[in-house]
Amino acid sequence: MTGSDGVAGSDDRMIELRLPSRLGYEKVAMDMAASLARRMGFGADRIEALRTALAEAVTNAIEHGNAHDAEMKVTVLLTPRPDELIVSVADQGRRPLETSQTELQPQIDQTIARGEAGGWGIWLMKELMDEVEFSSVPNGGNRVRMVIYLEQP
Amino acid sequence: MGAIGYAWLFILNNRNMIMSTREYTIEVSFPSVLGYEKVARDAVASFALRCGFDASRLEDLKTALGEACINAIEHGNQRHADLYVMVCCVYNAQQLTIEVCDHGVKPYSGERPMADITSKVCGQTSCRGMGLLLISQLVDEYGFVQKTNGGNCLRLSFHQLRRDEVLSPCSTSA
Repeated sequence: MTGSDGVAGSDDRMIELRLPSRLGYEKVAMDMAASLARRMGFGADRIEALRTALAEAVTNAIEHGNAHDAEMKVTVLLTPRPDELIVSVADQGRRPLETSQTELQPQIDQTIARGEAGGWGIWLMKELMDEVEFSSVPNGGNRVRMVIYLEQP
Repeated sequence: MGAIGYAWLFILNNRNMIMSTREYTIEVSFPSVLGYEKVARDAVASFALRCGFDASRLEDLKTALGEACINAIEHGNQRHADLYVMVCCVYNAQQLTIEVCDHGVKPYSGERPMADITSKVCGQTSCRGMGLLLISQLVDEYGFVQKTNGGNCLRLSFHQLRRDEVLSPCSTSA
């Protein structure tokens, strides 16, 4: 990445952030990703999309993957490239993510009828990011890899 | 105590009772390329903000941390982009401790005297080399700590004033 701040995507240099599995810490990840995206040249609306998608990914890792166990870590990897930003969020997989959960298409009317607020995270990530894929970490854990494209003006 | 995560600390308070408190940490690592320190700095500032530090202390923190990271990139890692700078932050008992560690390609000698602002302003010495001077003025405690891997590790500490310690602009001395 060769932005004005010298932060540029080349040779897959990564920034890594490790967080305890405690709600609230996702905001640190959001702010870090927004800082990087801004320096890469992303517009404000794309940065907001990134913040929201990352918040959902980290919150899922804290709540589901690591089951709120603060001793377990959430790892956020940011890989800036000239034309995209790759964001990877991994947990330590106390609760493996079922494939069926990644394919859910929540219906807002049904969700409201049930009085549930949750269950929108994966759908939101898919709506807001250009690529989203889920996988398992070899030594245990879930990983979501998201890509947001940098559209040149 | 591990560098990452939290630990249970057992504190003997003044009633000789054992109480416990959790200590949480975050860790950021980034390649030794100038510019990346700003992203790490923003992550740590976000953490500090949520620990309750006020805006003026956040600015001190960001400046000091930026200088420490630039030193690690330029000196400790000699700008080798494949070498990473590690930043570990621990908040506990109203104190934020940040360690900035590099690989020690160039070990910190610690022999040079602290930069003198007057000589720099007068042009008697280079304008560079202000990092540690700035850090010394902005943090509550700082110093290099020994690491088993041989790299340089600069530890910065910021104390958080309790509310009853914050001076009111209208307060009068007794």
